Amino acid sequence: MKNKMRGILAIIKKEFARFFLDRRMLLNTLIVPGLLIYVVYTLMGTIVSDIAGTGDSYTAAVRNMSAYIAPAFEQSEVFEITSATESDEYYTGQVRNGEIDIYVVFPDDFDDIVGEVIEGSPSSVTIPNVEIYFNSSEDSSSTAYSAFVATLDVFEGSISNVFDINAGEADYDLSTTSPTSYILSAIVPMVLLVLLFSGCMAVAPESIAGEKERGTFATMLVTPVRRSHIAVGKIVSLSCISLLSGISSFLGLILSLPNLMQGVFDVVDLSVFSAGHYLMILGVMLATVLLLVAIISCISALAKSVKEANSYIGPLNIIVIVVGLLSSFVGSSASPLLYLIPLYNSAMLVTDVMALTVTPLNFVITLVSNIVYACIFVFLLTRMFNSEKIMFNK
Amino acid sequence: MQEILSVQNLKKQFKLSYKQQRLQRTPQKMLTAVDGLSFTAYKGEIFGLLGPNGAGKTTTLRMLATLITPDSGDAIIDGCSVVRQPDEVRSRIGFLTGELKLEDFFTPDYLFNFFSDLYGVPENVRAVRKRELFSRFGIDRFAEVKLANLSTGMKQKVSLVISVVNDPDFIIFDEPTNGLDVLTAKTVTDFLLELKSQGKTIILSTHIFSLVEKICDRVGIIIDGKLAALGTVSEITGEKNLEDVFFDIYAARAGGTL
Repeated sequence: MKNKMRGILAIIKKEFARFFLDRRMLLNTLIVPGLLIYVVYTLMGTIVSDIAGTGDSYTAAVRNMSAYIAPAFEQSEVFEITSATESDEYYTGQVRNGEIDIYVVFPDDFDDIVGEVIEGSPSSVTIPNVEIYFNSSEDSSSTAYSAFVATLDVFEGSISNVFDINAGEADYDLSTTSPTSYILSAIVPMVLLVLLFSGCMAVAPESIAGEKERGTFATMLVTPVRRSHIAVGKIVSLSCISLLSGISSFLGLILSLPNLMQGVFDVVDLSVFSAGHYLMILGVMLATVLLLVAIISCISALAKSVKEANSYIGPLNIIVIVVGLLSSFVGSSASPLLYLIPLYNSAMLVTDVMALTVTPLNFVITLVSNIVYACIFVFLLTRMFNSEKIMFNK
Repeated sequence: MQEILSVQNLKKQFKLSYKQQRLQRTPQKMLTAVDGLSFTAYKGEIFGLLGPNGAGKTTTLRMLATLITPDSGDAIIDGCSVVRQPDEVRSRIGFLTGELKLEDFFTPDYLFNFFSDLYGVPENVRAVRKRELFSRFGIDRFAEVKLANLSTGMKQKVSLVISVVNDPDFIIFDEPTNGLDVLTAKTVTDFLLELKSQGKTIILSTHIFSLVEKICDRVGIIIDGKLAALGTVSEITGEKNLEDVFFDIYAARAGGTL
């Protein structure tokens, strides 16, 4: 047994040494992907948040501020309101120049008319007109205009209230899915699948086709180590490295999601997932990486160089993206048989975990089937290593 | 004399691609690289395979090293068949060829340990052997330097040491001095003679006549995959020198012209 394991362990040790002693490879495969995803997603979130305008405050100059409406703005931190004492031209000029966001003019008799409406005895039919000057070419001015109009609309509705909608304390949203789950199950599976594939692509072609190209593979083939042991050693070590790369990317993705969603959804709360959920994700990632590494290794073994291997693997990249997209659109399936479809099962299971609808049966089917498929590809890889046509083709 | 290698009617054909057919201007789809080769080698001798490029020397050695499988025939090395017992054969031989490369990223020290692991050389034996071989070739000076930073000669020394990491009794060298400067070539030649003095059997391929005359006990001349002559250098050459005899044989095979 020890003799049998000797070759496998030696290959694993060598692959690890090749990876962990090469600072450039270590940086590019392990640290950069996760960091890059975190930075890019955080940046994207910040930009989206800026566009949405959440968290910003606006400046407004108001003439004849209504006593009825003022409290609504006093409670809000959105508007910084100053009382207008200069001429109209002065303030419209300020709006035009972007010095303030909006200039609002309430009619002199606004409060009198509103008071009569509230008491139910309006003495005149004149509808007061509130003038709001804004600059549509400035994002903040447009947003401030919309926000001010919305506040006035709410007030207008409240003084002529005919009926309410969901005004009570009851929980009217009957969804059992947390908003976090909903958002993550739509995003994470596809991104995760693509990231895992990228991790495998970074190491597998170099290790198989690269060694073939440099002539170092044949040096191993003349040693007494069985070809099947070389295949297993390669797949196991490359899977571990790819998994580390996948975990790095996954952490970057998960940690950056709250930043990405800022301003769009303020509901990304990772505490809805238990340790079990994260372990399931890890299990699926491991099985998926095993399968992907085994497939990519087989394809790489057919190639004469890394460049050729990458061109062969291109279509697989497209398949992975399509499968990921499909799982995002279609969602999870009720039929356990669908969890036998390689790669698609991984995407579906991640969707299930994120949506908090995962079942142990589907998890086991996905895990076992992917490992079985990986074993089939390891067998194929061994056959390839034994084939002189494949290993020594020129 | 104890027979350690018996090559029995070894044959190997390669399929020619359309491109190769066009390049070689032949309508034939198959190329016969080795055609019914038979010879024996005895313990403690250096056996040379001499022939021009494309004669089938490397293909023969690759079959002996179990890198490729013969289409027919067999070779028995130290009692093990290259066809039926390739794993056993691999554990008994050392193999060095210019086409086999070592990873540039690693140091000689790491590679020695790695190949020792693959061959299952015990730790204590490995340490002694590494010290001896590294000292013998002066590798200890650059044992911790990555191969990428070494000269061709240094790399060849490392390859030589790696090829005998398991202290094999039967060693195959394909063009061992090819592309080396005179100093490194002499180091290699001296090492081959040293191995012979230790009772090791060496099969080498070359097209360098002086190397064969200097170190080979027996020689087989291969032309177009067939054995054209076999014997000791003196048996083959008689009163002539090896180079003249070789060209005579080659011209006869080629129909009177070179």
